Amino acid sequence: MAEGLIVRSLRDGSLPGEHAPALCLEDSLPSPLASHSHAVFRHLLASLLSTGTGTAVVLVAFHRSPSFYLSLLSPTFHNSIRLLDCYSDPLAWKSNHHPPPPSHSPQNITLLTNLNHLPHFLSSILHLAKDLGAQGHDRVTVAIDSVTHMLRHAPLPSVLQLLTNLRCHEKISSLFWLIHTDLHEPKVISSFEYISTMIASLQPIVQLPDYANANISASITSLEENYSKAKFNVRLKRRNGRVKLLCEELLIEQGSVKFSSVPSVSSVVAQNLIPKVQFNIQLSDKERMDRANVVLPFEHQGNGQNIEIYDGRRSLSESQKDPSSTKIGGLSEQKRSNNNKSEKGEIHYIRDSDDEQPDSDEDPDDDLDI
Amino acid sequence: MATGGGQQERPTRPSSFSRVSSSSFSPASSSSTSTSLPPGVRIGANGAAFVSSGIPDLDRILGGGFLVGSVVMVMEDADAPHHLLLLRNFMSQGIVHGQSVLFAGPTKEPRSFLGTLPSPVVQKEGLKIKHDVSDVQDKEKGLRIAWQYKKYFGEQTAVDSHNRDKKQEFSSDFDLRKPLERQLLNSQNVECISTQDAFDLSKLQNHCLTFVSKLSMKDGINSNAGRIAIQSLCAPQCGYFEKDWDMLSFIRSLRATVQSSNAVAVITFPASVLSNSISKRWQHLADTLLSIRAIPDKDLAKLLTGYQDMLGFLHVHKVAQFNSQVPVILDASTYSLKLQKRKSLVLERLNQAPVEGSSGVSYATSGSCSSSKGSLLDF
Repeated sequence: MAEGLIVRSLRDGSLPGEHAPALCLEDSLPSPLASHSHAVFRHLLASLLSTGTGTAVVLVAFHRSPSFYLSLLSPTFHNSIRLLDCYSDPLAWKSNHHPPPPSHSPQNITLLTNLNHLPHFLSSILHLAKDLGAQGHDRVTVAIDSVTHMLRHAPLPSVLQLLTNLRCHEKISSLFWLIHTDLHEPKVISSFEYISTMIASLQPIVQLPDYANANISASITSLEENYSKAKFNVRLKRRNGRVKLLCEELLIEQGSVKFSSVPSVSSVVAQNLIPKVQFNIQLSDKERMDRANVVLPFEHQGNGQNIEIYDGRRSLSESQKDPSSTKIGGLSEQKRSNNNKSEKGEIHYIRDSDDEQPDSDEDPDDDLDI
Repeated sequence: MATGGGQQERPTRPSSFSRVSSSSFSPASSSSTSTSLPPGVRIGANGAAFVSSGIPDLDRILGGGFLVGSVVMVMEDADAPHHLLLLRNFMSQGIVHGQSVLFAGPTKEPRSFLGTLPSPVVQKEGLKIKHDVSDVQDKEKGLRIAWQYKKYFGEQTAVDSHNRDKKQEFSSDFDLRKPLERQLLNSQNVECISTQDAFDLSKLQNHCLTFVSKLSMKDGINSNAGRIAIQSLCAPQCGYFEKDWDMLSFIRSLRATVQSSNAVAVITFPASVLSNSISKRWQHLADTLLSIRAIPDKDLAKLLTGYQDMLGFLHVHKVAQFNSQVPVILDASTYSLKLQKRKSLVLERLNQAPVEGSSGVSYATSGSCSSSKGSLLDF
């Protein structure tokens, strides 16, 4: 469901008067084989393109070569995608020495070498978007392979300005990018989260074991699960100011990504958000047993006798004494024997019912109707 | 590095509205001399001058409004745009009272933000009077009402019937669905600046200086208060974002400028994009510190009443105090933002079962209010 929501909002684009939705895909080291997030990136790319003829993608490739992406997609989609090649020659080494042959690259790949100059970068993206728009695609999505690579060449505020300008531009309907959280300071990551409307991150299913504990071997074998599964956390910022938190399980099978929902997660999420109350209302099992064993002061006579509570039914000890006698008779017999022994007062407690909760009659305001 | 002292280090403030000596201060004399005050400014406790924040509930919580000459900081939540509601009400209130407004925002066209300002609600006199009288009666009964039933009686207002009319002029309710009239926005005393492409804050600083000097040059006697509203001062897309110390020295100079003038500055900033130590320094520089928190969907429904109408939480960290060493102690510091009938903004106390006193203690330790979702709510 989380993945469906993301794809839908990226595909739908923005309402008029709003900025385009932006998804920030976060990649981190604990989720092993950093390719997991890249797999999600590719999956999103493929699902956006496959939804119909209306959507087109401008892909800015830093991390992999453009031909890699083209080989992933079926040839029918090659017309709906334009690639900005920032992978082959980012520092302009090749073009300084050997000027590139003019008609070398296929039609939909544009080579970009001047990555320091971000306005030029922005205009190339917009040029490609206009190209696609001219071809009849009314919804153009921009996908940036890795913003981490962009930050190598340009300072943070200008990269953020570029992304914000892309969001404001009327030709762009949505935007998503990948970022490696371990390679940046926390404030850089939070700046990217600040300008995005959806934040997705991957976490390992099995956490790394605490090596101080005894049973290491069991936990290490369960770590293998991490290679095929991961937890997919999504944080959506909605228009009414509420935040929607979702968590799903991600399965990677033979290069394709499958999402399945995990039912037990919402309680984990809720626990972080409710205020921590100082007193714990729930009882653990041991506490429950202890409570059942507690002898309340009005249940015993204080003289070490067996505890017998008249609960309106025949108790075990009475039936043992005289199986044929009535209840009342049994009680008065006991009374007489007690009176012979001591002159202290006696407590006769009649329990209403066996399963009475101790505080059930506490709130007298329950029937109050204002 | 000195980050600016707290409120208690500055006992006097030479703004022209405040009364420095309190010996001749009495309610009778304040009402007779209040006619010399420009509209929108009121004298409150200890002879301090207040302007309204645009939200009557917030004025009441802060003990009168925003102090003239103070800097109010609002910590934004990265997930929710509710700080814009506060800014809009603040600016609209200033425009309605004819005060000069300076707005700086991190967009290319900050003027377009003016189009979203709400216009005031025209209220019938009779309804307002009835509400105040019943509140006064409740106060006189001296009831101690259990927490479950407080929500049925509403909030007690501290305004007596004598000042009722003045209260209505001082702060107005705003209808968030209706935009402010065009001719009010086009007047000369509303300025807008964009901070997005600026590489340093010197331009903004000069603008603020000229704005404040214009305030004192007007006519001498009836110079009105001025309002400076800066949206998302440390937004990451601004060119000066990585210059932490420059931003801090800008705030310090703004504070000094505003302190000796008749202006109030409201600055909103997303605290999560700053590093922890710099964020703490920003918070220390504020005279009044508020923060906004977004509500996660559905999860808190079982704990709070009236959950569906809530937009977010407003947390009051610091309240400015003038001419007094007594700190302001609030009943509750977390309020919920709600839209009443979808048009006006109200702040309500949260209704929940009382939590043990630990919530007060740990609020102090988690006062930095980062975007971590595990921080406590203080009731």
